[in-house]
Amino acid sequence: MESAVNQSFVQKTSERTMKFLGTNPKDAKLSLTFFAVSFVALLIGGFLGLLQGLERAGVITMPAWFDYYQTLTTHGILLILIFTGAFLIGYLYAGVSHTLGGLLPKVRKMGWISFTLIVIGTVVVASQILIGEASVLYTFYPPMAASPWFYIGLVFVVLGIWVAAFGVFINVANWRKRNKGQHVPLFSYFATGIFILLFVGTLGVTYEVLTLIPWAFGWTDTVNVMLSRTLFWSFGHTLVNVWYLTAVSAWYVAVPRIIGGRQFSDTLARAVVFLLVVLNVPGGFHHQIVDPGFSEGLKFMHVFMSLSIGFPSLMTAFAMFAMFERAGRKKGGKGLLGWFKKLPWKDVRFLAPFIAMATFIPAGAGGIAQTNFQLNQVVHNTLFITGHFHLTVGVSVALTFFGIAYWLVPHLSKRVMTPLVNKLAIWQVVLWTVGMAFMSGAMHTVGLFGAPRRTSFTTYNESAQALGWDPYLILVAVGGTLLLVSVVMVVCIVFHLMFKAPKGETEFPVAEVEDDAAPTPKWTERWSVWIVLMIAVISMGYVIPLVDLVMNAPPGSPPFKTW
Amino acid sequence: MKQAKYGLILLLFLMVPPVIELSESIMSIHMHMQMPLLGIAGMLMVPYFKEKFPRFFEKWNANGIPGILLFMIIIIYWLFPRTMDEALTVPYVEVFKFISWPFLAGVPLRDSWGKLSERAKGIFLIVIGIIYTGMGFLYLFAEDQLCNNYLVIEQRALGWGFLFIALSILLYYAQDKLIDHSKYE
Repeated sequence: MESAVNQSFVQKTSERTMKFLGTNPKDAKLSLTFFAVSFVALLIGGFLGLLQGLERAGVITMPAWFDYYQTLTTHGILLILIFTGAFLIGYLYAGVSHTLGGLLPKVRKMGWISFTLIVIGTVVVASQILIGEASVLYTFYPPMAASPWFYIGLVFVVLGIWVAAFGVFINVANWRKRNKGQHVPLFSYFATGIFILLFVGTLGVTYEVLTLIPWAFGWTDTVNVMLSRTLFWSFGHTLVNVWYLTAVSAWYVAVPRIIGGRQFSDTLARAVVFLLVVLNVPGGFHHQIVDPGFSEGLKFMHVFMSLSIGFPSLMTAFAMFAMFERAGRKKGGKGLLGWFKKLPWKDVRFLAPFIAMATFIPAGAGGIAQTNFQLNQVVHNTLFITGHFHLTVGVSVALTFFGIAYWLVPHLSKRVMTPLVNKLAIWQVVLWTVGMAFMSGAMHTVGLFGAPRRTSFTTYNESAQALGWDPYLILVAVGGTLLLVSVVMVVCIVFHLMFKAPKGETEFPVAEVEDDAAPTPKWTERWSVWIVLMIAVISMGYVIPLVDLVMNAPPGSPPFKTW
Repeated sequence: MKQAKYGLILLLFLMVPPVIELSESIMSIHMHMQMPLLGIAGMLMVPYFKEKFPRFFEKWNANGIPGILLFMIIIIYWLFPRTMDEALTVPYVEVFKFISWPFLAGVPLRDSWGKLSERAKGIFLIVIGIIYTGMGFLYLFAEDQLCNNYLVIEQRALGWGFLFIALSILLYYAQDKLIDHSKYE
């Protein structure tokens, strides 16, 4: 009798512990499903990336039924929209479930609705590219016009993102009502910021796509090209920072725990989140810094607005290295750099995000260079830009995502990563880093020599200058090959951790604050204030160009199919 | 003291000729960025002034009302299209802008804000919201060019800017009134 009571008590306690400290199994299923889609997209997108690199180097020629531009469009959409989007929703939902004691049933349902909408959208978009009706690249700039179904597919993807965003808002608001006076756990604070940014960032591009659909159907004759580009980049750059903020969430929340340290400062981490939310959207304008139709004064003002986004990133760089030093010294690291050796270099959960962070130093510096008018003019339409975003997204973000997957997938599937798989994962990360160093390094260099982006292989009638690019393009292909091997490895490891790894418990690492940490101020929780400030800053950045583009609108352009 | 230094640096930065040139070349930047930034420079200097002249602030702005009235007078003055024009063409008016915004608008605003009752703050936000909405409509719908130095298209952009700022202020007021923060905090 007594043992039955004890057993029942243990079971109840375990359930309660699971409820409040672990990710709910139903929520785990949702997140794992998102991860499955994400890594399948990575595999296909990565494979297409290699084909594209080989054609760009002049090694192969893609067949007419699936040419270079179809490959490029699919590679872009699958990797920057589906791999990252599905991953971040799966990760954030798992984290919200873990830190807030499970998703509300209606929020879980919203998660599944979001998943369905994103999958439908992806299938519709991909089908249009495959049949050759949408070789418009991932930026889908008009006047190049895809089939209207391509844009309709994108609407489904955006709707899926919105449903996921509101699911998190509902869950966080509910938790705050039930836990008066408490700060939302840092992870969920990040999730709130990320989804606010994503929701607001997608408003402009949604309007753009809703003008492109009737235009592509032929119901309207023309479209305002400059306005479309401006609305696209109000989203495009925000999306970049959404990925970045997602990666940063793991740097602040999980990495300190993994290395046996504590959070540097809870207040600083929250300040980074709301500063990025408030400042980010107008930063998109620097992508149009060489576009015609805007005055130099306006572009110069936007340089300041863009550079302001660098401020929270510098705060993060400081906090990360301070946290590493504290943790290393606690473990006995002595001297100026002795703490550095004490970090767990053989743990892939640390190595992957560390390389990601370190890469953000040159990647961020490149970004700051490109934000400047004159420097941007030198590199704007060259492979330098492609090299830049393969460093930011391809390393800083992707490697952090891999690092997350290596503990989150086994945590969700109730399995453990064996030392052998850890070693394999370290090789995967090293291979990825070397591959990207070749590829991105060559792209940066050849970009400075003027090699254009967004074009398939050409020697420009055997021009000496164009022929001089070839060795670098071969390096791009070499890097791409190493990257594909790494992609195959990471996909195999993730699915192994999902279905085949030994059963067991893996921790969801959540760092604690230092014992003597100052309390986090209450004002950090006033999201309504941050949102109002965000609206004010966006209006500062976008009212001038948008009014000009609408009121001084050019005649507009009919759709063109250039392929 | 640190804040005062930052305020002074900001003020000096805004006074550098190329910065003046840029910030006054576009109407919206002139009114919605340069002028508020001058105000912010003054706000940052408040702790220094209060430390140096505590009795002055206690005597002349005991309940915050004189300060907020001075702030309102200054910003309403700078809302007139003619004053913006004069700032560009009459050097004395330009000098007055660089003195009035930081020291007669920014300083009294920050000093008064902590002293005002919740009700007075609410009234202030509503009044500013309404004035900015009105200015927004004025600049959007005036058929004539209101400033000699700026084109009608810039006038329209400024109008939209006013409307968005008014929306932000009114949203801030609404969230403060409608959301019961005690439920969460």
